[in-house]
Amino acid sequence: MRRLRRYAIPFVAWMAVFIVVPTLILLFLSFSDYSLYDGGPFAFTFARFEIFAAPLVLTAIGNSVALAGATTAACFLIGYPVALYLSHLPEKTGKILMSLLIVPLWSNMLLRIVAWEKVFTPDSFFTDLTGLSIDLLGSKTAILVGMVAMYLPFMVFPIYSVLEKLDRGLVEAARDLGADDAQVFLRVIFPLSAGGVLSGVIMTLLPALTSFVLPARLGLGRVPLIGNVIESKLMKEVLGSSGRSINEGALVSLSLMVLSIVLYILATRFDREGETLL
Amino acid sequence: MTARTRKRLYQTVGACFTAAAFLSVYTPIAVILALSVNDSLKAYAWEGFTLRWYADLFATDVMHDPIMNTLLVAILATLIATVLGTFFAIGIHALDKTRRTRMMVLNNVPVVNPEIVTGISLLIVFSLLGFTLGFHTVLIAHVFFGVPYVVLSVMPRLKKLDPNLYEAALDLGCTRFSAVLRAIVPNVATGILAGALMAFTMSIDDFVITYFTSGSEYMNVSTWLYAAIGRSRSFTPAAYAYNAIIFLFTIAAIIFINSRKEKKEREVRR
Repeated sequence: MRRLRRYAIPFVAWMAVFIVVPTLILLFLSFSDYSLYDGGPFAFTFARFEIFAAPLVLTAIGNSVALAGATTAACFLIGYPVALYLSHLPEKTGKILMSLLIVPLWSNMLLRIVAWEKVFTPDSFFTDLTGLSIDLLGSKTAILVGMVAMYLPFMVFPIYSVLEKLDRGLVEAARDLGADDAQVFLRVIFPLSAGGVLSGVIMTLLPALTSFVLPARLGLGRVPLIGNVIESKLMKEVLGSSGRSINEGALVSLSLMVLSIVLYILATRFDREGETLL
Repeated sequence: MTARTRKRLYQTVGACFTAAAFLSVYTPIAVILALSVNDSLKAYAWEGFTLRWYADLFATDVMHDPIMNTLLVAILATLIATVLGTFFAIGIHALDKTRRTRMMVLNNVPVVNPEIVTGISLLIVFSLLGFTLGFHTVLIAHVFFGVPYVVLSVMPRLKKLDPNLYEAALDLGCTRFSAVLRAIVPNVATGILAGALMAFTMSIDDFVITYFTSGSEYMNVSTWLYAAIGRSRSFTPAAYAYNAIIFLFTIAAIIFINSRKEKKEREVRR
């Protein structure tokens, strides 16, 4: 068995090329004047951090934190009862309903966003079909509803997986020892499902924080998010306009990377080998 | 309140939340299905039932290139990622516990990293290596984000495996490599399959990473749609038809898998 270790060597090399090297470059770009495309002299600088003082970026960070936070909270508040309900159904029914909740994720993300656009446009195709005329396009509510609908399955699934495996004997033991419903939930069920909740939060919060198509479309570009800032910074330079905007994009990306790794390390406290993510 | 009414109350509340969840997740799907049979090019209003978008999809080449690109990349990336991921998982599994945990952290970086960050990282590596963006870079990118999912789903199976199996195969005269293929791989096949399925689904619907690694010429369905929306704010409803077919196909697959499972269970009981 130990000889099989050598199969891990190409893994390290592979990950080094695609994770460690770009991370170092992001770090390098974040703290310098160097241009990825024009080359140029290298000088160490903190100037890139000024981007965090730019009004647009501050607004974007505020919007992202507020919207992603609200999305995650809503997904948790809706998703936990759903997961709990599904885990109490007969096993087969629960599994089928869980997979039916995941199936929509196979549909193209952009088309689902376009579909929400139709829903949120008054006197549209959607009005013809349902009689409902909803005028929300361009508002934060539209973005919030779109995001919750998009990320909810990512919250329900990990919580359901944990709850489904939960030892029912523990619940009965707690009852025998005199716990009421609230105590059973708060002191037995919820603590045991914390790992699932945490991976649900990670799987919802990070994509919501960094999404850029959904806010651009459902918010009509009026509500910029961090993802939109990164995308515009990056694409500007990739598409050939000058400046050091890619360095600024690199800094923002790096900050997001640090955030996601911190959250992940938190999650591993619940599961040392990080398998909750599946 | 008696225990029974309380239980009924919980069930009602749970059922309501579940209904709300299904409503929110299925609303866009219902709209897509309706748009795929709507007899209108711009889709501003409902103008009657038609199947012509489905006909367009198969008979014309409105979406031929993006669909073919999507499928080709998804299939190739899944195959490569599955093979690589399986061997990587076997290698990581053979390490001692500390190193294994470290490797799994590394493995999970692309899984937890926001897609936009992964996209940018890959774009940086490709520009550094001087690669022209296109089919090859997209394929490498998709293999890259597929591998961690394969490793993640093979690993739990490996843990359940009897560690002596591999040694036994060696004692019985297998070479090292064929011992892996004959003693380990068949025993973790379900994990490999689950990983392959994950990699495939991640690839076929990917937008963000493809967007950053494909350049301006090469397009999959998602980047094609994005370009079409940006350019003219509209696209052929054949796209809805394509999506409807994929949706119906996945529903059919789930029903098929569940009915087969049931059949098997019945046979076992007999």
